[in-house]
Amino acid sequence: MKQQIELLMGNEAIGRGLIEAGCQIAAAYPGTPSTEILQAVIDHREQAEEPLHIEWSVNEKIAFEVALAASYTGKRSVAVMKQVGLNVAADPFMRTAYLGVKGGMLTIVADDPGPHSSQNEQDTRLFCLQARVPVLDPASPAEAKELVPLAFELSEKYEMNLVLRPTTRICHSRQNVERQKPLKLERGANFEKDPTRWAATPAFLPPLHRRLNAGLEEIAREPGLQPRLTKGDGSRPRVALVASGIACAHLVDLLDELGLSGRVDLFQVLMPYPLNPEFSARLRQDYSRVLVLEETYPVIELQLAHPGTVGKQDGAVPREGELAPDIIHRVLAAFLDLPAPPELPVQKRGQRPSLCPGCPHRAAFYSIRQCFPKGIFPSDIGCYTLGLNLGAVDTVHCMGACISQGVGFYQAYAQDGEFPTIVVTIGDSTFFHAGIPALINAVIQQARIIVVILDNATTAMTGGQPVPHLGLAADGRKTRAVAIEPLVRASGVDFLEICDPYDKPRFEKLLRQADNYIRGEQGGVAVLISRHGCIMDPAVRKAQPSWQVSVIESCVGCRRCVDAFECPALSMDSEQNIARINPDRCIGCGTCIPVCPVDAIVREETS
Amino acid sequence: MPIFNIVIAGVGGQGVLMASKVLAESALAGGLDVKQNEVHGMAQRGGSVISFVRMGEKVASPVVMPGTADLLISFEPLEALRYLHYLKPGGRLVYNQVSINPSTVAAGLAVYPDDVEEQIAAACDNALGVDALAIAREAGNGKAVNMVMVGTVLKDLPVTEEVITEVVKQVSKEKGVEVNLRALAGGAAA
Repeated sequence: MKQQIELLMGNEAIGRGLIEAGCQIAAAYPGTPSTEILQAVIDHREQAEEPLHIEWSVNEKIAFEVALAASYTGKRSVAVMKQVGLNVAADPFMRTAYLGVKGGMLTIVADDPGPHSSQNEQDTRLFCLQARVPVLDPASPAEAKELVPLAFELSEKYEMNLVLRPTTRICHSRQNVERQKPLKLERGANFEKDPTRWAATPAFLPPLHRRLNAGLEEIAREPGLQPRLTKGDGSRPRVALVASGIACAHLVDLLDELGLSGRVDLFQVLMPYPLNPEFSARLRQDYSRVLVLEETYPVIELQLAHPGTVGKQDGAVPREGELAPDIIHRVLAAFLDLPAPPELPVQKRGQRPSLCPGCPHRAAFYSIRQCFPKGIFPSDIGCYTLGLNLGAVDTVHCMGACISQGVGFYQAYAQDGEFPTIVVTIGDSTFFHAGIPALINAVIQQARIIVVILDNATTAMTGGQPVPHLGLAADGRKTRAVAIEPLVRASGVDFLEICDPYDKPRFEKLLRQADNYIRGEQGGVAVLISRHGCIMDPAVRKAQPSWQVSVIESCVGCRRCVDAFECPALSMDSEQNIARINPDRCIGCGTCIPVCPVDAIVREETS
Repeated sequence: MPIFNIVIAGVGGQGVLMASKVLAESALAGGLDVKQNEVHGMAQRGGSVISFVRMGEKVASPVVMPGTADLLISFEPLEALRYLHYLKPGGRLVYNQVSINPSTVAAGLAVYPDDVEEQIAAACDNALGVDALAIAREAGNGKAVNMVMVGTVLKDLPVTEEVITEVVKQVSKEKGVEVNLRALAGGAAA
């Protein structure tokens, strides 16, 4: 068989690995840094030897359950998500540990130490310890890919769901990766009914729990998953380095640069949970001091229970943030008594992100802020979090939280009498993900809040995955579209309006009407759908008119457009104290024109 | 051969990731082991973007440690200043002289320093500033800034110019091949 080497991103390597391992059902919800895994499955689907169902599920819990039942039929399946997505999928994930699986099932959970693009830096490995689910921690994109078929085999051998946990630095690193021919497993779907297991009532759970624990004891001793030792030359006796994930890769290069490669015993832990108790015993016996490097929580460290451990618990290794190479250098120098590396200058803060020029969310946020300067603005997870920059986002918590937080704000204020206008903003994908139950709750609790659904017809932040109201499947096939409006109406909302936020006068009129409605005698939840396609979509750009927009000399330098509207194409010319429009960044949408109080922003039609 | 470390910095949308991909593919085509890492997500919405490319006989980590970069390629002068501490002593900096106002500057909360290039010159004695936008426009497309920047370091890499040129041809869309090759050559001549 001819092998092929190509440069792949970690996520692409994993996606490719899923196809090669004969995975037949792949379900995911997008989230950085995991998104490109399912995208790679989509891109490589033509190479699969057998039928392959791929879906962008509505949320992570659903993705997990779809993959789970598929595995009951004996086929290989995968659910993919980011670390906080596992919180959404926690309920089925925890029970699956007891009930097990049939066909190989992997849950790929991408962690985000740092965090770079998440609301926390929780450690999926610790989650797995709590759930009693084996978890693999690759140190490179190539290793992540190699672990995929092995994980499927072990999942079938032990009838367990296994977790593969790459981190951001694995997901978004490219390296040379070997391509293999996809497997042809020739399995027909065959669900063997067994209610004592698949519908286990409490009476059946103790034996299932016993079986799980016995399985964990065994898999901890699996030869292919044992800590890999790179032996030292004995010059530093009774000292060991233990590392997992990307921290191990950093450490390997660092030892090389310091001339310490092969001088000190180094163990790479592939499976941080369950850790082989014999490994722990050996460390306790053969080594007096052990440095443990892992991201982000002390999972290996806790299980080792070695009295000579240097790590996160004694504070020698930072307890938060990424273990970047320079941090590992510092920790290693202290541990091995090497000269300390020079102090690094504090990194200056980089350019802050902002909504794109022409983004419809900017127009919506500006209007919301203008209409309700004293409002409270719960928002949610997505590009529109950047409404922060316009002062139109006060809280961001987790997927779908904004509507329920809006209710909480309302109840707390309303019981004192007066309540401020509460305007909740939620994206279309987030609305489907976790907003619908919250909307129903808001209605039945008679909360008087305005919910603005920012409908840009895509999951924008993660690169434009389809949303349910488009009627598009993951692979681009047409499917049944589920519209937002009937869902809102069926949730019991009586005030529902739809408006393009580019139409500022109408949008603001509707916001004021909504405010009157929620404060009326029969008032309740008012929903305004702010509808305009994502400006990153070339078709949207093409379909809308474009003008040559400029600032004329009547500009008085009041800064409102620059400060309150915050379009990246606008800036102040500090010498002349007037606003300027950068023609390289302006897309000619004209949404800034009505923002100017002296009509100094003007437009001309372009060809 | 020790690992050759490259840091590429810029602002979301400038083509930092494409330039990184060209360098990484070139290393691979040149028979080297390579690891490349980049930032995704929120930062791509106009925020600071940083990418690492490491090439050598054997490379485990995809992250460049501050103080160890052989080469810093910056698509923007202020970003060059921000990441200058990644360079090792004597390391080479090539930067695009065309500035992009950071949002804090645009909002008037800070002033874009007018002596960025002087500060760079004071901190780095192996720096080259180029007007990559002008060179890209001359090559036929202002968006080819990324290929201009790759061109500026063509002679500094442990991979031959022929290999890099071939990779640029492969990764370019059919219509863009000529422009990209002109941009590459323009950068190399700067």
